Amino acid sequence: MPVYDAVVIGAGNGGLTAALTLAKAGRRILLLERHNVPGGCATSFVRGRFEFEVALHQLSGLGSVDRPGPLRVLLSEMGVIDKLAFVEMENLYRVSYPGVLDITLKAEREAAIGTLQQQFPAERDAIARFFELVYEFSLQLVQGIFFRDPHISKEKYPLYFKYAFRNAQEVLDEYFDDPLLKVVLGVYWGYVGVPPSRLPFGDLAVILWAYIEFKPYHLKGGSQALSNALLDTFLQMGGEARFNCAVRKIIVENGAVKGVVTEDGERVDTRYVMSNASTIQTYIDLIDAAEVPDSQFEYFKSKTIGPSAFTVYLGFDCEPSEIGIRESSNFILTTTDMNRAFGLWKTLEPQEWALFTCYDVSDPEFSPPGACQAALVSLQYAEPWYRVPPHQYAETKYRYADAMLKMAETIFPNLRHHIEEAEVATPLTHLRYLGHPGGAIYGFDQYAKDSPYFRMDKSPIKGLYHAGAWVAGGGFQPTLTSGRSTARSMLKSMNNK
Amino acid sequence: MALKDVVEDIEGYREIATEIQVLRKYGSDHKSSRGEVAQIISQLHPPKIVLKLSEIIQETSSTRTFRLMGKDVGLPPFQAGQYLNLFVDIHGIRTSRPYSISSPPTHTGYYDVTVRRVEDGFVSSYLLDELKVGDELESTSPSGNFYYNALFHGADLVFLAGGSGVTPFMSMIREVAERGLTSRRIHLLYGSRNEADVIFQEELSAIAAHHRNISWMPVISNPSKNYAGATGLLTADRIAEAVGDVTSKTFYICGPEVMYDFCRRELVKLGVQKTKIRVEAYGPPREVTKQPGWPAEIRADDLFTVGLRSGKIIRAKASEPLMVSLEKNGIVIPASCRSGECSLCRTKMLSGKVFHPEGVRLRKSDSQFGYIHPCMAYPLTDLEILL
Repeated sequence: MPVYDAVVIGAGNGGLTAALTLAKAGRRILLLERHNVPGGCATSFVRGRFEFEVALHQLSGLGSVDRPGPLRVLLSEMGVIDKLAFVEMENLYRVSYPGVLDITLKAEREAAIGTLQQQFPAERDAIARFFELVYEFSLQLVQGIFFRDPHISKEKYPLYFKYAFRNAQEVLDEYFDDPLLKVVLGVYWGYVGVPPSRLPFGDLAVILWAYIEFKPYHLKGGSQALSNALLDTFLQMGGEARFNCAVRKIIVENGAVKGVVTEDGERVDTRYVMSNASTIQTYIDLIDAAEVPDSQFEYFKSKTIGPSAFTVYLGFDCEPSEIGIRESSNFILTTTDMNRAFGLWKTLEPQEWALFTCYDVSDPEFSPPGACQAALVSLQYAEPWYRVPPHQYAETKYRYADAMLKMAETIFPNLRHHIEEAEVATPLTHLRYLGHPGGAIYGFDQYAKDSPYFRMDKSPIKGLYHAGAWVAGGGFQPTLTSGRSTARSMLKSMNNK
Repeated sequence: MALKDVVEDIEGYREIATEIQVLRKYGSDHKSSRGEVAQIISQLHPPKIVLKLSEIIQETSSTRTFRLMGKDVGLPPFQAGQYLNLFVDIHGIRTSRPYSISSPPTHTGYYDVTVRRVEDGFVSSYLLDELKVGDELESTSPSGNFYYNALFHGADLVFLAGGSGVTPFMSMIREVAERGLTSRRIHLLYGSRNEADVIFQEELSAIAAHHRNISWMPVISNPSKNYAGATGLLTADRIAEAVGDVTSKTFYICGPEVMYDFCRRELVKLGVQKTKIRVEAYGPPREVTKQPGWPAEIRADDLFTVGLRSGKIIRAKASEPLMVSLEKNGIVIPASCRSGECSLCRTKMLSGKVFHPEGVRLRKSDSQFGYIHPCMAYPLTDLEILL
C-alpha cells in the first residue's frame, strides 16, 4: 500500500483547501509546492519596511459573523477562521475618469443607487430598475442553482434563464444611455478579465450583488496570512508539506494514477493526485502523452489562456491622505470604450484601464506607521512579453510601469515624490512564480463558454483531480471553494473502495 | 438537479454549444506548448545555472575577478547591482556565498565576480586559492534588489562604497558609461584602507575622464605618507564636498558592516531623508552577540540541539547562522541572499527560539506561524525545525 492516500501538487488556494479537506477526513496527504512559500497568488513579498500584498484586492463572499457568506462558512469549516482577522471595506469602488467623472459607490444598495441617481439624474428610474434586475437575478441564481432547487424551471426562475448568458454590454445598453454610467456599473469586468461585451451578465450581476450583500473584505497580514493559516491547520491535522519541491511527473499506468516523481527524482507512490497546477501543464508536461486520451486535448482546444497582470507595488513614505488617497479600490479610466481597454491588454502600449488599491485606507496597520502601500494593476496577456528579448526585459518593464504611474498621477498628482519602495511584476513574473502558461492569474479566459455549465469536470485519468482557477474560474472565493469540493469528490471515490 | 441539466434551457445556450463544438475542432492545440513554461523561465530566471570559469583577472594583490560563462547555455539577464549566490564544496562541506556581479549587463556573455581576500574567509580563500580556469561552479540566477529603479530613484545618484563593496557600483557605472545614459549622474565615493587596495582604479579614472556624468573620488583611511588624495572616512563633510546639495539625490551604500551605520549617520547629518538611502544586504553580522536585542545570558559558544523531521539531531552554535550549522552537518537548504531578505530558505520552526538580527525581512504572518530564515537565524534554545 502506498504511504500517502493522496499527493496534492501545488499549495495555491485550491491546493491548500483540498489538502486540508483531505487531511481533516483522516487521509494521509503529502502536499508538494515548488515555491518556498504557500499561497500561489495568495502571497506577499517584502521590500524594505513593506510587506506587499501580491494578489488580493477585495475578498468576496465572506459576510459578517452574524450574516456569514459562503466563504466564511468555508473558512470556519477549514478551521482557520479564528487564526485570521478580517477588515471590512466600506465602499465598492471609486471610478475616476480624470477631468470627466469621479464617483464612489458605497457597498450598500440604496446608497449606491442614490449616488448614481445624483450623478446621472436623467437615468434615475433605469438605475433603480437595473439594481432590481441585479438583485432578482442573483436571488434566482442562489435559490435555483446554489441551493439546487429540484424543481428548477424556466417558469420558476425566468430572470435566471433569460440573463445568465446574455452579454453584460447588451444589458447595460438596454438600460442606460450614458456611456459613463455603463462604465461605472460594468467596471468589475476587470476582476473577471473579460470586457462587458463578452462578459456574461450573470457574472457581473452576481459580483455586484455579492460585494454589496457580503461586503468587500481584506485580511490583516494580507492573503499570505490566509495561506499560512490554511497550511498551519493542514500540518496540525497531520498533513505533510514540502516546499522548494516541484513535481516533475505524474506516473500514470493503464489510465490510472500510480504516483508522482519530484524534481529531485524521488518517486512517491499514491493512487490519488490532486493537481493545483494548471490543467494544461498537468496533461502536457507532467503526464506521458500516451496516457492522455485525445478527448482531453480536444477539450483544451476550446479554451484560451487567460490574462496575467502587470502590477506596480508601491510603498509610500506617508499616510494615504497625504497623497489624496481616500478609497481602497480606485478604478482609473481614460476611455469609455472597454473593448479598446481590453485590446490594450495584448499590447505594451499605455493602458486605459487600471486599478489602484490602497490597503491602508481600510486597515491603517497594514503598512508600518506613517507609511502606506498600493498595488497599481493593469491586466495583461503574456504574448507581447514573450517577444521582448531577455536583455530588453528590464527596460521594457520600467517603461510600462512608468506609463502606469503617469496614469495614477492623474488622480494622485504628488504620488511619485512619496515612493519609498517600488517593485514591478509582469506576466513573466507571474509565469515564473505560478508556473502557469501565460502567467495567467485566472486560469483560462472566462467567457460564457468557459463557465461551469460547460466544463469537463472529471479527469479521464483515474485518481486524478483538479483544484484551482483552471477548473473553477479565477478569484479567491472560487479557487478556495474548488479545493474543498473536488477533495470531497476524491474522498467519495476513496470511500467507495 | 445538476447544472448540466438546466443549461440547455438558458437563453443563448445553443450559440455557445456551437461555438464550443467549432473550437474543439479548429481551436489551437495546446499540445504545441509542451515545455514552453519551463523554457521561458529558464531564459529569464532559471533556478540554477552552471558556470564555467573562463578567466582570472588579478585586480589588486588581494583581489581577483573571476570571469564566468554559462557552461552549456546563454546566461540570464540581470540588473546592474544584482548578485549571484555561488555554491562551493570545500572539504566536504557544501555552502554558498552571494557575490555582486561587477561586469555590466550589456556584456551578455559572462558574469564577472570580484572577490577580495578577507580574514578567515572560508569561501573567499577557497575561491582565490583553489579556483582554476575551466572549473565549474553552480549558482543561483542573478538576484537581489540593490539596483537602480528608474521609477523613483531620480537622475542623481551617489554611491558610497567601502572595499570590495564597490563591485555592484562598478556594474552600474560600466552600464551607464557603455550605454551612454547621460541623463543619469553618478558620484562614487570609494573608501579603501590604502592606495593599493583600490580596485578598478584605472578604469574608474578613465570612465570619469570620458563621461561628464560620472565622477569618483577614492578616500583612503590609512594612506601612505605622500598620498595627496582625499583621506579619512566617508564623513558628512567629505560627502558634501563631493556631491554638493543632497536634495533629490538617491544614496546607495555597499561595503563592510561598520560602514552602514556610520554612513547612514553622516547622511542624516546632511539632511538626507532615510527613504532616499538604499543599502545592499551584507550578510550575517561579524559579531551577532553585539547586535541590539541579543540576550545577554546567551554566550557566543553556547551549543544547542536542532531536531529535524528525520529524527536526526545536530548541534548548532548560538553565534553561527543556523544555515551554516546545517551545512556543516551535510544538510543543504535552498539559499540565495544569505542576508535574511530573500526568504528562499524560509523554514518552519516547531519549537524553540531564534534570534533574527536587524535587517531580516520576515513576513508578518510568517512570524505569527513560526517561520524563520535560517541564513540569519541564531539558535537561542534547543530547536525543532520542519526540515
